[in-house]
Amino acid sequence: MGVNKTEEMVLNIGPQHPSTHGVLRLKVQTDGEIVTSVTPVIGYLHRCFEKHCENITYQQVIPFVDRCDYIASMNNDFGYVLAVEKLLGIEVPEKVEYIRVIMAEMNRIASHLLALGTFGLDVGAFTPFLYMFRDRERILDLFELTCGARLLYNYMWVGGLSHDIPVGFVEKTYEFLDYFEPQIDEYNNILTFNKIFIERTADVGILPVDVAINFGVTGPNLRGSGLRWDLRKDETYSIYDRFDFNVPVGQGIKGSVGDSWDRYWVRVEEMRECVKIIRQALDMMPRDGDVKAAVPKRIRPPQGAIYSRSETPRGELGFYILSDGKPKPFRLKMRSPAFTALSVLSEISQGWMISDVLAILGSLDIVLGEIDR
Amino acid sequence: MKRYFYNIWETITTLMIGLGVTFGHLLRIRKGNVTLQYPEERWPQPQREIGFNLDRYNVIRSRLHVDIDDCIGCLQCSRACPVDCIKIEFVKVDKGLDIGTTSNDTKKRLLVTRFDIDMTECCFCNLCTYPCPEDCIYMTGGPNSRKHPIDYEYSTYDRSDLIFRFSNVDPDQVARLTGQNELKVGGK
Amino acid sequence: MTITWLIEWVNDSWLGFLGLPGAFILAVIIAGLAIFGLVAVHAIVAVYVERKVAAFMQDRIGPMGQGPGLHAGKWGLLQTVADALKLLVKEDIIPAAADRKLFVLAPFILFLGAFIAFVALPFSESLVLADFNVGLFYILAVSSFGVIGLILAGWASNNKWSLYGAMRSAAQIISYEIPAAISLIAVILLVGSLNMQAITSAQSGTVWGILPNWFVFQNPFTFMAFFIYFIAGIAETNRTPFDIPEAESELVAGFHTEYSGMRWAFFFLSEYANMFIVCGVAVVVFLGGWQSPIPGLMTGRIWGLFWFMGKVVFLVLIMMWIRWTFPRLRVDQLMNVSWKVLLPLAFFNLFGAGIWSLWLD
Repeated sequence: MGVNKTEEMVLNIGPQHPSTHGVLRLKVQTDGEIVTSVTPVIGYLHRCFEKHCENITYQQVIPFVDRCDYIASMNNDFGYVLAVEKLLGIEVPEKVEYIRVIMAEMNRIASHLLALGTFGLDVGAFTPFLYMFRDRERILDLFELTCGARLLYNYMWVGGLSHDIPVGFVEKTYEFLDYFEPQIDEYNNILTFNKIFIERTADVGILPVDVAINFGVTGPNLRGSGLRWDLRKDETYSIYDRFDFNVPVGQGIKGSVGDSWDRYWVRVEEMRECVKIIRQALDMMPRDGDVKAAVPKRIRPPQGAIYSRSETPRGELGFYILSDGKPKPFRLKMRSPAFTALSVLSEISQGWMISDVLAILGSLDIVLGEIDR
Repeated sequence: MKRYFYNIWETITTLMIGLGVTFGHLLRIRKGNVTLQYPEERWPQPQREIGFNLDRYNVIRSRLHVDIDDCIGCLQCSRACPVDCIKIEFVKVDKGLDIGTTSNDTKKRLLVTRFDIDMTECCFCNLCTYPCPEDCIYMTGGPNSRKHPIDYEYSTYDRSDLIFRFSNVDPDQVARLTGQNELKVGGK
Repeated sequence: MTITWLIEWVNDSWLGFLGLPGAFILAVIIAGLAIFGLVAVHAIVAVYVERKVAAFMQDRIGPMGQGPGLHAGKWGLLQTVADALKLLVKEDIIPAAADRKLFVLAPFILFLGAFIAFVALPFSESLVLADFNVGLFYILAVSSFGVIGLILAGWASNNKWSLYGAMRSAAQIISYEIPAAISLIAVILLVGSLNMQAITSAQSGTVWGILPNWFVFQNPFTFMAFFIYFIAGIAETNRTPFDIPEAESELVAGFHTEYSGMRWAFFFLSEYANMFIVCGVAVVVFLGGWQSPIPGLMTGRIWGLFWFMGKVVFLVLIMMWIRWTFPRLRVDQLMNVSWKVLLPLAFFNLFGAGIWSLWLD
């Protein structure tokens, strides 16, 4: 290819493009179909989240945290309330911990379903996308039952939850899990092991583990590269140490370790692990207890700073909160996992074709709300 | 060579499995259909039996509604709102004049002259409904359907119609009760 | 009903004063309108069926607009009619930077390629507009004519996505013509004729007394040739998994990104017309054309038309089934499939079919 060098063309993918997962713009330098460099241009969804937080109380931040990673709001809430609780030194009731884990893991399934579905869409498979959305809807129904909202929940509060789980929630969740587990096999049949899909994703966009660490990539993308690093296991927070689950890593079954297929496969396997965790949590959860028992009347943390991190579906979500003793945070910094995932895109997509760049982008599972904040 | 034929074989088998999945769904459409034909059919509304047995539960997030007769103008909701979409103004009533009580038998002392909720700004976080001491601001429907029916599609032709003005006080009343024509503005 | 019959019919009627040239022109116009009607009706029905099939496969129910009026009839039956009417009255946007003449011309060239191929399709025993002795060759030749329209559309739009789509489709269609043609040659060897009716007639009777004597069942080489041809045919019609020229997640809409309204509808029309042609050729060459699946049962002119259309619709449905199941291939993989898999197999097939025919003699 190198010999027949032609004139290079700059292609603008986005901000309005079917597969940029939001309002991302990619400046792609192409030599025919081959991509020589990719430059992501971000900021189209910038909403001044961090600055805005300095002007609202700790409780009021939660709806905005929801809107950062709008695909996995529960996990974002979880990370934020953990940070504030650490700052305040609050112990939350047992039941709250369990409900939080259940909700977070359910949202992890929902988020992975969306990630896998849109990844399928990026490589041209339309039907699996709708199957996954169908099942995601069921999770959202459960959330709606619990807190009235389907996307932006504002469910986890500092020190508690906005609502207790409704009567019948546990049974409905068991029912969902029983329904959901065979569905994973169906996704595998229609998409995961489809030869065309494997051809499109295996050995494409290989992210070596050292590059991943250098760029600070976390979550399923890092695990896809073969490193077993999951904050739920390695830096246990909340009550994750009580559950028995595995951390799937990419093994290069269809290609080499760290390719797009591995990143996809890690998410599929993670959904099974989520189901495991939810089952255990539902079994172990105390049935009664006040979810608002530890909610402080006024949130006024002492002076100081805190950094707290948690594992969202996209990776390590960190909150650095600097408090000056007032009811509003003095400074709030969010470390978003999707940002690092996007930053590695230009590194790993050079030399691939245009179609591959979009497949790699899909496999990195970014959410622009979190990148731009 | 072996790999070449194995690839062809793998392609054929995996593609056949995929075709089988979609064909199965094609045959089972009557059972598997998930479409809701929206204007004709509606999503089943959550019923009381599934756990909203506590009146304080407020788990439908459809539209904010205020029972203005119960409002005492304490500004709690307006303070809780992260996007400042609730605008309240009130005037102090002259001493000795009675402007009634709320349904919780709290004596009202302030005349709420403006209670606007801009639903185009509302972020449906539900934070305003918790601090209300009189339970007079709530999301319609669900467990609150007794107070106000659910309002799924509050769509309008004009954006300004989404600013809900709840206050029912007229200027004459203000002048009579406070003895002044200028409104003394409080709140945000 | 051939074109010569039409000319005679016109000449014998009260329009006889037109003379032979006039009758010829009139006959061509009548035939053209009939084909256009078939293409349009097929596109409208096929779009509706495709939407329904896709919906059912995805646990949805597809277009369901109910009630009277244009909004769409019960079960959404009039949905595509309404869509077509909407496209007719839509604003026709020509981008300022486009090459106006070519931009306007491109959809018609593309449509023409599919349109004129209909002339040689034998719909039934007597219903073939022009019964050439090189019918199959003619169809193969003119249906690759449409690629010029694609390239023009991509180039004239002056849009990078369109250009990519056009270049991809040119490469794709040219490379898939070859395995398609070679797999057809396997049958031509056995029949010894390029005439569509002759090929159809060669498939009467039964094999082993049970299966109809179609070329799919006749011998293993023609059996394989059918699949090679069908896969190549899917690629020629630019449908998933070979829809890289219009890959919506990569190239927005590929070569027709800039088109709107009626011109865009012509792209759609020609896509469905192409599907019909590819399936029609497959039916004639491999599935016995207008012959009944049970020899001797339900034959005749009308039944012939019924069997032909039924088989075509069956193959079109399979194309839809494939489309809504698979992901899309990449450009280089697409070429690999053509040059490294289909072409060797087609050559092997041709060789085998040659030996088979010698052995039969």
